[in-house]
Amino acid sequence: MGLNIIMFSGTADKFIPLGVISQTAANLGIPVSIFVTGWALAGFLKDGQKNVNRMPSEFADMVPMLQKGLQDIKAPSWYEMLKSAKEIGSVKIYACSLMTEVYKIKTKEQLDGIVDDIVGAASFMQQSGGGQIIFI
Amino acid sequence: MATIIVDSRGTACPGPITDLIRAYRKAANGDLIELLATDVGIKSDAKAWCERTRNELVGITEDAGTYKAVIRIVSKRGMA
Repeated sequence: MGLNIIMFSGTADKFIPLGVISQTAANLGIPVSIFVTGWALAGFLKDGQKNVNRMPSEFADMVPMLQKGLQDIKAPSWYEMLKSAKEIGSVKIYACSLMTEVYKIKTKEQLDGIVDDIVGAASFMQQSGGGQIIFI
Repeated sequence: MATIIVDSRGTACPGPITDLIRAYRKAANGDLIELLATDVGIKSDAKAWCERTRNELVGITEDAGTYKAVIRIVSKRGMA
């Protein structure tokens, strides 16, 4: 049974667990399905990685420590982790059709190439049937 | 039967297991993979991966901050 992730948040800190959880599931051979909606879709637009740079203001005092620490251990970016996950496992990334409408996007070619398709919420729920859903 | 060295030192979790899988794809049953890592998570993760994929964890050792997980590949299908 697979792992299903609803990726809603748009701050950079939340994209780290998206990458880590996806890559970890792929490592274990667990299929992953990611539904990108809300603020998160900005990160999956063409050249969307540059849109993922905000940090939550309530942790502002800790952000420099986090960023330096990640740099020190040469942690890959969330995007690199997703690419690794897709390379080694079954990882599908779906953009929410409601949000693509908000952005006036009509086809997946208008999104980052890492996105597999634009789908409605019903199809995501249907295909995740019974599996775990994580909301980030 | 070959021994394959995978050097994942300096790579943060979950990178070492991904490196392991890249080597595993090219390995055959009976091969040994020696996975070197500095991320302490490898101790639990190599075990979890072996349980999940039904390969054999021969052992994990540590030397000066480097962990070495030795894994015998036994779960490949259609490859002797």
